[in-house]
Amino acid sequence: MNQAHPARKAAAAAAPAAVPQAGRATGRFGTPLGLAAALAAAALLLLVLGLAAGSQGWSFAWGEDAELITAIRAPRSMGALLAGALLGLSGAIAQGLFRNPLADPYLLGSAAGAGLGVVLVLAAGGLLGASLGLAATGALLRLGLVGAAFGGALVGMALTLVLARGAGRPMVLLLAGVVVGVLLTALSDLVILLSPEALRGKQVFLLGTTSFFGWPSVAVLAAAVVLVLPLAMKLSRTLDALVLGEASAASLGLPLPRLRLALVALMALATGTAVAQAGLVAFVGLVAPHLVRRLVVTRHGALLALSALAGGVLLLAADIAARSMIAPQELPVGVLTAVFGGGYLLLLLRQRLAR
Amino acid sequence: MKADATTLLQAGGLTLRLGGRRAVDAVSLDLRGGEWVALVGPNGAGKSTLLQLLAGLRHADGGSVRLAGRALQAWPARERAQRLAWLSQQGEADGDIAAADVVRLGRLPRHGLFGAPDASDEVAVAAAMAETASTEFAGRRLNELSGGERQRVLLARALAVGSPVLLLDEPTTHLDAPHQRALLRSLVARARCGAAVLSVLHDVTLALAADRVLVMDQGRLVADGAPADAALRAALVAVFGASFSVECVNSPTGPRWVALPAL
Amino acid sequence: MTDSSPAMKTILRRFTAPALLALALAGGGAVAAAAAQVTDDRGRTLMLPVPPQRIVSLLPSLTEMVCELRACGRLVGTDRFSNWPEAVRALPKLGGLEDSQIERIVALKPDLVLTAVSARAIERLEALGLPVLALEPRNGVETQRVIERVALALGDPAAGAALLARIESRIAAAAERVPLALRGRTVYFEVAANPYAAGEASFVGELLARLQLVNIVPASMGPFPQLNPEFVLRAQPAVVMATATAVAEMPGRPGWKSLLALQRGQVCGFAAGAYDTLVRPGPRLGDAAEVIADCLLRLGTVPQ
Repeated sequence: MNQAHPARKAAAAAAPAAVPQAGRATGRFGTPLGLAAALAAAALLLLVLGLAAGSQGWSFAWGEDAELITAIRAPRSMGALLAGALLGLSGAIAQGLFRNPLADPYLLGSAAGAGLGVVLVLAAGGLLGASLGLAATGALLRLGLVGAAFGGALVGMALTLVLARGAGRPMVLLLAGVVVGVLLTALSDLVILLSPEALRGKQVFLLGTTSFFGWPSVAVLAAAVVLVLPLAMKLSRTLDALVLGEASAASLGLPLPRLRLALVALMALATGTAVAQAGLVAFVGLVAPHLVRRLVVTRHGALLALSALAGGVLLLAADIAARSMIAPQELPVGVLTAVFGGGYLLLLLRQRLAR
Repeated sequence: MKADATTLLQAGGLTLRLGGRRAVDAVSLDLRGGEWVALVGPNGAGKSTLLQLLAGLRHADGGSVRLAGRALQAWPARERAQRLAWLSQQGEADGDIAAADVVRLGRLPRHGLFGAPDASDEVAVAAAMAETASTEFAGRRLNELSGGERQRVLLARALAVGSPVLLLDEPTTHLDAPHQRALLRSLVARARCGAAVLSVLHDVTLALAADRVLVMDQGRLVADGAPADAALRAALVAVFGASFSVECVNSPTGPRWVALPAL
Repeated sequence: MTDSSPAMKTILRRFTAPALLALALAGGGAVAAAAAQVTDDRGRTLMLPVPPQRIVSLLPSLTEMVCELRACGRLVGTDRFSNWPEAVRALPKLGGLEDSQIERIVALKPDLVLTAVSARAIERLEALGLPVLALEPRNGVETQRVIERVALALGDPAAGAALLARIESRIAAAAERVPLALRGRTVYFEVAANPYAAGEASFVGELLARLQLVNIVPASMGPFPQLNPEFVLRAQPAVVMATATAVAEMPGRPGWKSLLALQRGQVCGFAAGAYDTLVRPGPRLGDAAEVIADCLLRLGTVPQ
């Protein structure tokens, strides 16, 4: 870039002007506040659409369908919004922690762990179905699948942390995550081999689902958002500092290993909850923060919040499309997020190639 | 090596072994407030490593570092960060946040991770950016800046800390001549106001403008003195294999020492 | 010996020809029964000069067919998922479709291998000189054809016809047993959570149609569509069918409490073994029909 005109430089040197607030810095889209408003509006619009998208296509006759709406469509739409928010938030944390714009929340073994948990419960349900009472097995399966996915995700991430001996070195952490992911996936495949009934259930889980979100699920997801988002935003300056590099951030007096551990824990909580309820939905955690970062220039505090909002909008849009494209049949929501996400990355690729 | 009231940073017998050899070999030095010290030496002499040891980013195998009379290890991390700023040689900074927000990171030691910045922080940030002529791209992403612009922003971050001790590793990287000059003026100004500035420089002529020059070779400190000191100049020439000679020339601003490449 | 009586000559002359004819017919018949020519689902034709005595089956439905065709004793090995009848559980298990244990199969020296079209092992086994029939029944019509061809391959086409007749009569009998009040009523058959349903076009869907139940999922939606749960709730099927564990957790799904069938207990929750017969297109169609009829009988009458 050209150097500043000497006269301007002199003026700048003589009277240090107030530095523009980052909030007023503009990216391609405008200010972060502008983006937040746009995303919030999109979320509201999609929620309305979500209440109208049913098995008979679009219907705004909410009076007659009141029961269906309150029992099925409303919690399903809210749930998709909240699960997407958790995934977007986790993705933003992952991308900041690993200083990699293509990181996603499943990097640290959470996806493989959740998959293994689900498979174990399905296999056990098949085996125990004979000995336990049927109602008990049913209840165990319902609760157990969610609990197992959540527990599995946490166990996967804990294993990664143990293997990497803490969150001190990001490269080691990443490698450990890959190792744990491979191991747990192999274990899960082994269980499926021994107990093939678990395969169908696992396929369903892998593709992602919002069909059975009830109000209890919404409550759990909302609780996770309320817990994780503010804490993550408080810690977000760590991610800003990491922009300088490991050593420079440490020279600022920050206890990096502990802060990273806290952020990984928050990521585990958010990812585990989302995956337990919605299955392994692809791409939301990757695309939402990536997109926000392209649209606005902002610090990580606002980035986390905006990524959550963007992730929610993305998953809700995918869910509505999944329900309405071939109604009364449904597409697995994971297929649609992959299409949206893949399409966005394809666009990026073409832009890069065009330069 | 007498410790006096203005000695801000003191190293005694620092040794570090890396990969079987001594990267830093029994180095002792002290940095006093009010002076700008240049550290020079051939590639691989251990300059960056020494700086990292002084900043507390690595642990020495032997010897000690004292900051304001107290062992470096004994300082709580945040208070140490308030008194000692370090600028990395590598350009490993990488991110999409705005340049101004990068500079604001320099104030983290003062208000802490959970504290709120106040007016004094904004003033310090603005001043640092003005000093490094980076105010004009305050709102642009770090990754979108050119090499020289990035370096100025990172420098501003280090200056914004406002610490009494400044350890800068190759601060002139990517900077063109006018900006190098501006930087050196800035460092001298800070030194005059009481700071202790130690900067690794690869350009010997720039180094000869400093108050004191430290010469390193193969991990050892082979010379420590003012440019006016003949012994220092001789050591300097020797260490670089007599690839240049040090001459005194008359410049518009007065007599100056310069390194003339021997062709 | 030199002079045979004229009477003897006459007898010999009279009976030789018919005797020779009888011998010829018997011998020819034996040859005709032994030399079988069977075309499998890949379009390949296999020549089986003698009925195979050492059979390996790598698909549960084909195992069941062999046994229903009274050739169970000729099985020397099956895949790991074949679990019916009891007798086959003692046979060596040779892996699944994806990971058949080639060496063990060859070591058993089979003279016929029955497997699915999608089995990866086919090429290997054929390259090693084993005769392979690839058959994969997916619905009622195909099951019929496959039974006929397996019977042909076993050298006993009559047994095939007999089995088909048996199955047909059992289905007809089961259809008779369906309570009048339930005939023509709607049914929802769930195969997996999410929910995936078995439509009219599926194998079990055909069976349900034979039993005079109307599937809420029409043939136009394909055999196993993933449904919007609202669709099921709107359709308010008279009967709900699924695995026992699925049925147990259905009331917990959001909004599913309003399913009248659940409220009134008009549900058929099938145990794992019985459920296998319903989703495996095979010779146990008769059993499947009876399982469903049993459940429907239990459900009693349903008010309009």
